[in-house]
Amino acid sequence: MNPLTRAWLALLLLSGGSTVIAALVSQGVAPATVGVGILLFSWMKARVILSRYLGLWQAPSWRRGFNLVLGIYCLLLLGLYLIPAVTT
Amino acid sequence: MARTPARAEPHGALDELPGELLMWVLIISELLVFGAGLAAFLGVRLTDPSGFAEAQDHLHRTGAALNTLVLVTSGFLAARALGLRQVGRRALARWHLGAAMLLGVVFLWIKGAEYADKAAQGIGIETHPFFMFYYLLTGFHAAHVIAGIVVLGLVAIWDDAHNIEVGAAFWHMVDLVWVLLFPVIYLLA
Repeated sequence: MNPLTRAWLALLLLSGGSTVIAALVSQGVAPATVGVGILLFSWMKARVILSRYLGLWQAPSWRRGFNLVLGIYCLLLLGLYLIPAVTT
Repeated sequence: MARTPARAEPHGALDELPGELLMWVLIISELLVFGAGLAAFLGVRLTDPSGFAEAQDHLHRTGAALNTLVLVTSGFLAARALGLRQVGRRALARWHLGAAMLLGVVFLWIKGAEYADKAAQGIGIETHPFFMFYYLLTGFHAAHVIAGIVVLGLVAIWDDAHNIEVGAAFWHMVDLVWVLLFPVIYLLA
C-alpha cells in the first residue's frame, strides 16, 4: 500500500475515532479526557494532511515547524476548553 | 502534493517547500484567520459554557462527521490526480479531479441540508453567540469549498502538473481547516 493511501485510511480512522470519543461524554467519561482525545486526534489529522497530502514529507524542517506550531495551537484550544471545567 | 516535479537542488529553507511558495503563504494566512476565529469561539464560550453546550446539541454531528470523510476522501483523490498526471496518465488524473469536485459538491449539499434544518428550527445568526460563530466559520469555510471546486475545475482543464499541484494544494488547505474546525465547533461540548 502506498503512503498516500495509508494517509487516507489513517484520516478516515482518526475522523471516525474523534466522533466516537465525543460520544463517550454521554457514557460518563470526563469531558476533559474527551477534549484531550478529540484535540489530539485533530492534531494527528492535521499532521497527516500536511505531510502526505501537502507533501511536507519532502521538507522535514518545515514539517517539524508546522507540527510544533499546530501542537501549541491545539494546546491553546485545549486550555480554553478546560477553563470552565477547572474554575467551576 | 504527493510528489513534486524535478527541480534544482534547494538552496534555502523556502526552496525546500513543495509546490508554489505563494500557495503556502495563502495556506498559512488561512490557518491564521480560521485559527483566530476558533480561538475567539472558545474564548467567548468562557462567558456562557452551558449555553454553548445547549446550542451545540442542535448540530448534526453525524452529518458533520460524514462531511469529514467526504472531504478527506476528496483530498485523497486530488493528491492522486497529481501523481497520475506526473506519470502521464492525463485522462485518469482528470477523472480523479472530477471525482474530487463531485465530493466537494456532496460536502456542500450536506452543509446546505444542515443550514436548512437550522432555518426550519428558527435558528439564525442572532439566536445565540454560538450560532454567530457557527455560521461565520462554517459559512466562510463553505465559501472556500466553492472556490476550491472552481479551482479544481480550472486545473482539470489546464492540466499541466504544476497547475494541478497548486490547485490540489488549495483543496488540501480547505481540508486542513475543516479537520480543525469540525472538532471545535461540533465535538467539544
